Amino acid sequence: MTVLWPIAVITFKEGIRNRAIYGISIFALLLLGANLLISSMIMQEVGKVAVDMALSTISFTGLLLVLFVGINLMAKDLDKKTIYMVLSRPISRPQYIIGKFLGIVLLILTTISILSIFAVISIFMVKLSYPGYFPRFSWPLILLSISFITISLILLSALTFLFASFSSTSFITLVLTIISYIIGQSIMDVKALVEAPQAAGIKVSPVTVKVVQAAYYVFPNLSIFDIKTQAAHGLPITLSYIFWAVSYGVVYTALAIIVASVIFRRREFP
Amino acid sequence: MQRVLPIVLILLLLPIHASILSKVAEGNKLLPKGEGTSYVLPSPILKIMSLEFDGIASDYTFLKALVFFGSTFERKERPRVKEWEWRWFYNILNASTHLDPYFLDPYYVAQAHLTWEGNMVRETNALLEKGSRYRDWDWVLPFYLGFNSFYFLLEDAKASEYLMEASKRPDASPILASLATRLAYKGKKTENAVIFLQEILSGTDDENTKKMYETRLNALKAILFLERAATAYQERFKRPPEKLEDMTAKNVIREIPKDPYGGKFYIDKDGSIKTTSELR
Repeated sequence: MTVLWPIAVITFKEGIRNRAIYGISIFALLLLGANLLISSMIMQEVGKVAVDMALSTISFTGLLLVLFVGINLMAKDLDKKTIYMVLSRPISRPQYIIGKFLGIVLLILTTISILSIFAVISIFMVKLSYPGYFPRFSWPLILLSISFITISLILLSALTFLFASFSSTSFITLVLTIISYIIGQSIMDVKALVEAPQAAGIKVSPVTVKVVQAAYYVFPNLSIFDIKTQAAHGLPITLSYIFWAVSYGVVYTALAIIVASVIFRRREFP
Repeated sequence: MQRVLPIVLILLLLPIHASILSKVAEGNKLLPKGEGTSYVLPSPILKIMSLEFDGIASDYTFLKALVFFGSTFERKERPRVKEWEWRWFYNILNASTHLDPYFLDPYYVAQAHLTWEGNMVRETNALLEKGSRYRDWDWVLPFYLGFNSFYFLLEDAKASEYLMEASKRPDASPILASLATRLAYKGKKTENAVIFLQEILSGTDDENTKKMYETRLNALKAILFLERAATAYQERFKRPPEKLEDMTAKNVIREIPKDPYGGKFYIDKDGSIKTTSELR
């Protein structure tokens, strides 16, 4: 831990200093302000739309953070060859990877906390303006949903480490991460669709079904962590579901980081 | 000179930009937009495309439907909303409720407009069935279903079932159960419809929707008034009135009420009271 901590702190500081953070914050602020505007157009379930807006903003902004700040932090060392300086120190390559990852986790936690404060304020303001339109509203579910979003973002950034461990430029890492994110978010719906294609009136070849079923086990199932609808409508989430979802996130993240360090250990630098 | 030139250029280009923008926007309005097609992407595809943002995608598709519907009120032509536009309106509300089946607003809008004006009662009921299944704590949706079955589809038994279902849900209005039994009495259609509408109205607080239901209620009350007058006429003169003016001539009623939709009430061949506006 004593070896990991300095790397984590350096990574975190580097991330906070990154100008992209300002852009992301302004974007989040604008969207949360739009929350007030859009909520005024809804007739019945204002609360649902306000929660939707707030949670989607947190999720989307976190995604931008992972894609454009997180990847940069990892890839910059490789792109700019500063990694030689780090690796000449008495730390192993897996330690380097884990330290960096911890730094990014810290960055995600900080950003999400700040965003959550804004989100809570915006929901609170909408609630003050339309107090009668929040029939099934629950703060605990909203906080649970935010925690789930955080877990899924941490999982996604673990994936960026996996991709960065073998790709030569940060751009490839970015593209691979975006692809995995899209697949991860939709794989459950796609699987449901190809297994019962008549619902949408389309035809699917048996090969596609097999490919999708294989992808289902390879790519992370990010939609597990998407409980925004439940949070928006105050629908119950069981404790066992929370337990299994968190376990899934931890196991997949650990797998990705371990595979990343194995590949990274064998990697040769020119 | 070097400092002035860019400022002059900017001042010159800004008005040009503004005028070109309005020209292009005008031209864009005239581009063929696929009029006559009510196609909306299949809901499962939309759900996949919206990734983790299906909640907000549902809000967006709903607002799109709402904005479109609001814009039709500026139209001069009749009918205000074309056949294919109703289909599109239904399809997009259906997509919105597929993305988030718990979202009340699309069901609410469908009930308010698709049934009375759009003539798509069966489709609306299919939509409401879905909503009633997901929102199993909400008595309003089975109540709407009951009303549609009773008033438009003339399926009283089915309507009773829906109302009983609605009356069992939390916070349901106590009137529902008695309304369900009342439906067994045939021939009180307008009277029951008035009770229904009063109940819908009491749960509505959006101003425009409220106004719409109020107009409807007033029209139905006028019809109820005329129906009762016709019964009184029948009792007094032992034959039904041939036209409404008979009743004013014989002092059964003082005057014929006005149709809030701008039409004229008349007595149909089967003796029922109708209006030329068809309540639209």
